[in-house]
Amino acid sequence: MSWWSRSREQLRPSARRSRYGEMDEEMRQHVELEAEDLVRRGVPADEARRRARLAFGSVESYREEGWEARRSLWLDDLARDLRYSVRTLRRSPAFTVMAVLCVGLGIGVTTTIFAVVEGVLLRPLPYARAEQLVSIYAANPLRDMRGVNISRFDFDSWQQQSKTFAQLGMWSWSNMTLSGGGEAERLETADVTTNLFPLLGVAPVLGRGFVAGEDGGGREHVLLLSWGLWQRRFAGDRTILGKPVEVDGVPYTVVGVMPERFAFPQTGQAWRPLVRDPQNDSHGNRFYAGAIGRLRDGVTQEAARAEMKRISNDLARAFPADNLNWEAELVPLREDLVGNLRRPLLVLLAAVGCVLLIACANVANLSLVRAAARRRELAMRSTIGAGRGRVLRQLLTESLTLAAAGALLGGALAVGGVRLAGRAFPQGVPFYVTLGVDGRVLAFVAVLAVATGALFGLLPAWRAGNLELGSVLREDTAGAGEGRRRARTRAALVVAEVALSLVLMTGAGLLVKSYFALVGTDLGFHQRGMLSFRVTLPSARYGERAQRVAFYDELLARLGALPGVEAASAAQGTPFSGWDVQGGISIEGRPAPPPGQDLDALYQNVEPGFFRAMGVPLVRGRGLTIHDDDPDAPMVVVNESFVREGFHGADPIGARLKIGDQTSEDPWATIVGVVRDYRHFRLPQPMGPAIYYPMRAWSSRTETIVLRTRLEDPTTLMPAVRDLLRSLEPDAPPYRIETFEETVARMLWRQRLQGQTLGLFAALALLLSVVGLYGVVAYSVAQRRREIGVRVALGATRRQVVGAIVGQGARLALRGIAIGLLVALFATRLLADLLYEVRPHDLATFVGIPLLLAAVALVASWLPAMAAAKVAPQAALRAE
Amino acid sequence: MSDQDRADLLQGSLDLLILKTLLLEPLHGWGISKRIRQLSADVLQVNQGSLYPALYRLEEKEWIAAEWGVSPEGRRAKLYRLTAKGRRRFAEERDGWRLFSGAVERVLAAT
Repeated sequence: MSWWSRSREQLRPSARRSRYGEMDEEMRQHVELEAEDLVRRGVPADEARRRARLAFGSVESYREEGWEARRSLWLDDLARDLRYSVRTLRRSPAFTVMAVLCVGLGIGVTTTIFAVVEGVLLRPLPYARAEQLVSIYAANPLRDMRGVNISRFDFDSWQQQSKTFAQLGMWSWSNMTLSGGGEAERLETADVTTNLFPLLGVAPVLGRGFVAGEDGGGREHVLLLSWGLWQRRFAGDRTILGKPVEVDGVPYTVVGVMPERFAFPQTGQAWRPLVRDPQNDSHGNRFYAGAIGRLRDGVTQEAARAEMKRISNDLARAFPADNLNWEAELVPLREDLVGNLRRPLLVLLAAVGCVLLIACANVANLSLVRAAARRRELAMRSTIGAGRGRVLRQLLTESLTLAAAGALLGGALAVGGVRLAGRAFPQGVPFYVTLGVDGRVLAFVAVLAVATGALFGLLPAWRAGNLELGSVLREDTAGAGEGRRRARTRAALVVAEVALSLVLMTGAGLLVKSYFALVGTDLGFHQRGMLSFRVTLPSARYGERAQRVAFYDELLARLGALPGVEAASAAQGTPFSGWDVQGGISIEGRPAPPPGQDLDALYQNVEPGFFRAMGVPLVRGRGLTIHDDDPDAPMVVVNESFVREGFHGADPIGARLKIGDQTSEDPWATIVGVVRDYRHFRLPQPMGPAIYYPMRAWSSRTETIVLRTRLEDPTTLMPAVRDLLRSLEPDAPPYRIETFEETVARMLWRQRLQGQTLGLFAALALLLSVVGLYGVVAYSVAQRRREIGVRVALGATRRQVVGAIVGQGARLALRGIAIGLLVALFATRLLADLLYEVRPHDLATFVGIPLLLAAVALVASWLPAMAAAKVAPQAALRAE
Repeated sequence: MSDQDRADLLQGSLDLLILKTLLLEPLHGWGISKRIRQLSADVLQVNQGSLYPALYRLEEKEWIAAEWGVSPEGRRAKLYRLTAKGRRRFAEERDGWRLFSGAVERVLAAT
């Protein structure tokens, strides 16, 4: 056959099929001819056919071996190898099930984490050309402040001067009370410049977006609804467009409905135009949450950063009072939204990779045991002419078949896993994250399958390739058990497994310990039976301070009288609420501090009795009373950190302080009391100096109410609270209702989740590696039955036998632990910024985890040792 | 004839035997195995499981060629014949074998 026709044939599957047919026919004929020949020699026809067929053997297998000669047709070889693999694997179901379970589990968890990584970190945000979008905040590196609010003036300057941004939009958090047509309802919303949504590339699905000019001049009372709000409150009524609804007691016109799932910034449900307001837009007032810019085509982030740096410097020179040391902080939008998840996710991905490696090592070990049992088969095959490459390929095909089965199982597990992962987000999966098993994830599974198959298949295959018939037969007749080299390979695999597990367990141990340290933090206030919620008064009827003070006095008095309530008070923000207003503080009679060494303090307004309600003790002086209401000469309470940093522990009572520098317009405030520190910033941020101003001196429309109750579940109070509020002011519904326990749990969800997940992976790793260790020791016991029998016959005691076997397992485990410790010393450094009050080289973890692993390893070797001890000498000898 | 009296083919000798039978005349697969049996007076049994792989291997090397024709029994069959290359190859293989078997004989004949 010419080269040409042969290659043509390879290209045409139909030709290949017809060749198969030819071969079939040829072999069938062989059997017929043989039978006819037998008949001619006088054998009855039936018997002749039977004998002919018997002599020929399986047509199928010879046909396959016939193809063996045609190496060029490797695809057919593959199909043949596959069939052969499936047959072989079916013959050893225990091995197959174990291997598929191991690989499936490994691939399942790895794929789940990868899918989350992909959904959160890799998939583009659901905005048009999202890579051009940049979040912009203010930053003051000297004071170590980042991601701070921006001022209208700075925003306008950027907009006028920047050439790297095609467009810049600004937004701010807001809340609104929606009323009319049902009970009033408080919503988390955002105010956005009219160009912001067009800039993002998101258009309403119904009606229109905001248009230029709708940011004041009487045209600003327009509203965009989220899909969810439209469905829930307006039952998807299309005629809502153009109709008025009441927002904070003012009529607004609904102009459009945004697409399903869209939310901004994170959970906003409705949007108003950001209105120009002289009160908020004063020059240095960093009042607005942030800006988002779209880079011009072809402009890099670096170019934009450089340009904004220049603009900031110019502003600082022109307006030193407000802008000195302040600059614009540019963060890619994706980084801004999910940046804090990157490190934990990558840690989880690394951890899960370890689990997969351990699973592979386990399967490789199983394959080695099985290869040992199949040595005769393999040696025979190579003796009758199967090349080394051929045997290798057959074994690899088997591994890949196993891996493919594992991948199927793993893929199925991952689908469930991803669903579980979605539930881990405390407020539902944010709209910009799409979790799911998509093409890329499936491709990842396929790559994993090939990689794992090669990983656990190559080693045994390579070993098998070295087989020589002579040595195999000699070994078998001598009953010497498996070759030393194979035993060494298996031992090395187990050592690697133990080492990997140790690394993983150490990392998990540190994170879990951190989580418990976080949970166990002394927050400094009462947590059980505490309930908080916010109330915002409509501006229309509460323009005067006296009106607001009267309302909140009445409300707090009535709340305090509810059955089960021990104390009721209020503040601007409760702990961990994110109400973290801070500023530089001046103390009367002190020289101005050098730049960068201002005393920064958290400041907020509190109602009388707030500390009592919170369970925060007063350590000096007095608390605030209803008489502390002079806005021009306010009385304030500070915390112990303030006394430590501002007065170096000296008595501060009677001293005066103000926000800003000595000459700022803020009034001098007199310190009348000191309270113990309590945690206000979200953990792990430590508490710093704080000043508490009397709320009633200014009285804001929004207050966060705190109720201390005797109730097991304080939320049972809510119906009574709602009734009470409705009777006082129907347009001020309570919102952000939460027990303190819920607040703390929500704050720590990420730490809890990463601890739990890594703990789970570590447990998996421990289980897999212990099974691996057990397998190696048990197998060597089985191999050494005769030797053990001889020893027992020669007078070895049960203790000695058990000791020898356990010693073998212990040596392997110790070697793994030693290597693992070395690796862990390096690896845990990568965890440093995920840890809280636990050092990366935490002694207890680095001692406890190896001990735990060693103990488990001892048990795993002890079990087969007990079996060995039961070996009766005669039985062992007879077994041969 | 009992199995003990039959000799297994030595590795590598099958190729030589196939080439030899085809040197005499084109044959189909069964014919080759039967001819070897006959020529060796039933001593050499070609295991069919090795025959066909060997045939395809030789075909691949282009020592033999196959085509569909009509067998002596009068049916359509795949007939194998020796190519020019195969003919040259046969001479080499035969010389190699004689050298080998002669050497083995001499060793066995030593006293």
